[in-house]
Amino acid sequence: MAELVVLRSLWNNLGTGKSICKRCLQTKTCDLIAVRQFYVTSSLFGKRRPPAIEEDIEIPGLERITFADRKYRVPGLAEPTFPEWNRGWRDPFQDPGPKYEEMPLFKEKACYVFNQKTKLLEGVKQALWLTKSKLIEGLPKQILCLAEDPDSRIENEDDRVQRAISHARFWDTTEVRPRKEKYCPVLLSNLLHLCRMLSLRYPSLSKRILAENYKVAAYWTRESSLFQVRGINGLLLNSTSPLAPLATQEEVQATESHILETFYPVSPTIDLQEVHVYEEKNDTGFRQGYPYPHAHTLYILNPLETCARFEPYQLQAKMIMFAFGNLLARARLLYGEQPRVLETPLVMQTIATNGRMFQFVVFQLNTTDLSSSDGIKNLVWLDRDQELYAYAKCLPEIKRKIVVVPAGLSGYRPETFRKFLAMYLHGAVQPSIKTEASAS
Amino acid sequence: SGYGTSVGKISKMAAFCVRCVGNSKLSNYMQLKRVRIIHTEVLAQNPTALSPLYPPIVPSLTARSKAAKQRRRDEYYKKVYAAPSVQEKLRLLTCLQRLKYVVNTQTSAINADRWYQHFTKTAYLSGLPEHFTNSGMDQVAETGDIVTSKALSDPDFEELKSLFCTALLQENFYMRKRTPFLYRTIEHYFSPFLNNAVSALTTLLAAQNPLLKESSLDFKPQVNFYWMRGERVVPRGHRKGSVDPIRFQIDDHPHSQIRVPKQLPEFVPLDYKVPAEVPVIKLEPDRLPLFKRQYDNHIFIGTKVTDPCVYGHTQFHLISDRMHRGRLTKANLEDQIEVRLRANAISSLFAWTGAQAMYQGFWSHEDVTRPFVSQCVITDGKYYSFFCYQLNTLALCVETDCNNPRKNICWGTESMQLYDTVEENDVKGFNDDTLKLLVQFLLYRPKAL
Repeated sequence: MAELVVLRSLWNNLGTGKSICKRCLQTKTCDLIAVRQFYVTSSLFGKRRPPAIEEDIEIPGLERITFADRKYRVPGLAEPTFPEWNRGWRDPFQDPGPKYEEMPLFKEKACYVFNQKTKLLEGVKQALWLTKSKLIEGLPKQILCLAEDPDSRIENEDDRVQRAISHARFWDTTEVRPRKEKYCPVLLSNLLHLCRMLSLRYPSLSKRILAENYKVAAYWTRESSLFQVRGINGLLLNSTSPLAPLATQEEVQATESHILETFYPVSPTIDLQEVHVYEEKNDTGFRQGYPYPHAHTLYILNPLETCARFEPYQLQAKMIMFAFGNLLARARLLYGEQPRVLETPLVMQTIATNGRMFQFVVFQLNTTDLSSSDGIKNLVWLDRDQELYAYAKCLPEIKRKIVVVPAGLSGYRPETFRKFLAMYLHGAVQPSIKTEASAS
Repeated sequence: SGYGTSVGKISKMAAFCVRCVGNSKLSNYMQLKRVRIIHTEVLAQNPTALSPLYPPIVPSLTARSKAAKQRRRDEYYKKVYAAPSVQEKLRLLTCLQRLKYVVNTQTSAINADRWYQHFTKTAYLSGLPEHFTNSGMDQVAETGDIVTSKALSDPDFEELKSLFCTALLQENFYMRKRTPFLYRTIEHYFSPFLNNAVSALTTLLAAQNPLLKESSLDFKPQVNFYWMRGERVVPRGHRKGSVDPIRFQIDDHPHSQIRVPKQLPEFVPLDYKVPAEVPVIKLEPDRLPLFKRQYDNHIFIGTKVTDPCVYGHTQFHLISDRMHRGRLTKANLEDQIEVRLRANAISSLFAWTGAQAMYQGFWSHEDVTRPFVSQCVITDGKYYSFFCYQLNTLALCVETDCNNPRKNICWGTESMQLYDTVEENDVKGFNDDTLKLLVQFLLYRPKAL
């Protein structure tokens, strides 16, 4: 593992003047590049060669002659090493804190943690390997049927959705245009408000509640490495009843022959936070007795504009990992800690957006036996990069006196909202159009 | 003047005697303009037949005189009256930045509600309007043009109650949370609860109130209003002695609000004689204390003018921890609890209704022709206060307020508890009346619906 981490760090740091300190496997400013110090400030503010660390060489059997008793430096004599002074009491301002090795939860074996800021290098492939899943492109048939069902539509759907988008993108600020950090959550709340209006027609939709800022914890072993999913992930829609499994038993059994894609030489633990102080915890985020115990849909936002934003493949990986984490915690609660194949697979949905592009994921957890890469796999349906609209411009884009993109909302695609609505209605509403293969 | 001396009566129109018409100075002008040599009798029969010879004599635009200042002001008002769109009107009214008092909706000033009533010309009536007090829980009646509706049916009410309890328990018990940050306790435990509560109310009551189906629900919106009230004489500096209007700005951030496409009906007629008086405070606003700043003047209801939902329905406010009643009780300010809630309601609702009126093109010199009505609920999770506001006048500046008998009206209740305590996974002492009043608030709508 170590050499693979070195390889990647070297690749990333090519040309930046940084190198790997092979001893501690951390990047440091390379002292091989020539640094000219013409100005006072450059030398004052750290643009200097770091001083060479001279190590004290200990030869056993030989006594080091130091200038300790003379109390002044003498050229030729070694520098004395004094015993570390102990204050006798703990001064909080001078306390360096306990070392990792002294903490009660310290373990020799490393654990690789996936949190809300993790951006996996290999994206979906890595997430599938970690969660032992098989990918199916596109949404499952049941949800697609519901999306095409003309009965489960809001009145004046296109008009209202476009109004919701315009409110989020144009009207919600005193300035000319709102920033992405503002319009992304506003668009999601507007769309959810529209979806909630359908609970007049389908009363079972009111058996749901939204939860924000909840923390999930789940752990599992994959090929002798320990992994965890931890932390705040997004807005969760909880429901009183679980979602029915989407794939038939035959399809689940067929995943046994599927081989997980690896990405040698990159390690599957890349980009995960390596910790030695951890607790193996399984927690859905809610206590026993919660009236809405089944996680229905997780809404993840990607509102940042800067380098901290998620690329689509990283966002899709985050969706898969957190859906898996929520389901694993729930499965362990229901069926115990022992790894097993679940008789009734658990299903959960995730929707992620950056304010324009939507990603849809449906995760079906078939098994908690994740140590080996053989056996029944979990299923992931992924519908990626669905645009809700193409452009939302305050000023028209004009190239060579021709209007390329008009001002206002353009390129609206109603299919994306229908999929969003279908995923909201899934579990509470049956589509009136039934295809041959859809489950009843 | 030397003209027209031989004519019996000089009229303002161009009536020239025969002798003057021959005058060479007039001849060019007469070729260009429609000038007739007429007899005074004809003029007396038809005095308006003639257009003026000369343009009207008006004060200078640029002189340093009171007349010139008045003329500049009049030209400015003419521009505003003639503005082609509401956006242009708002831009003209808010483009000039000057020092203004920033009115905080959640303020720690003592007795701020009387001051805010003075700034906004609001009369406060305790209790709610007749619409809410007359409509009994089981009555169906039509009073004038307000329809009092039957309350929610029992199963629906029970469902709403259980949703409320579950949302409360989710935040206070079921969800595992870390300890809240300093002064963020209410926001930590009750902000998500209020999100869920407002969503549930809007959804469940949309069946009875079709206005809610077309409504727009904003979370953490921004509401701004800028107005002028009163005058002051500049005490020192190069402008010493000149008279300036006193400007105010409210920048409010409610927890959530419901905006609707149709206006809510009035609670009382526009010319209603309010039984309460607007308190008049002779001290300057600095004494409250209020502080002046200069920045962009905003008039904003939560969305721009192009949005179809430009009328307000209900706002929900979550008070900050600094205004929590426990802290005020400890500081011997128990009487200030209700005062601060009232101040919050008056300032927030005045800003919201005023901005709604300005979005319809009304301003201080074009006063509202119909009242603008909105409601708000101020809560800390456990205690709820209900307020209704009717904006009858925007004419608050000195020129327009001198003969203005109209007042804005704010109705309000004392704080009502929703529940007693939350113990483990149980909500104890749930008060149905508070929830019923909340339901009534959200069911308010125009008669046509």
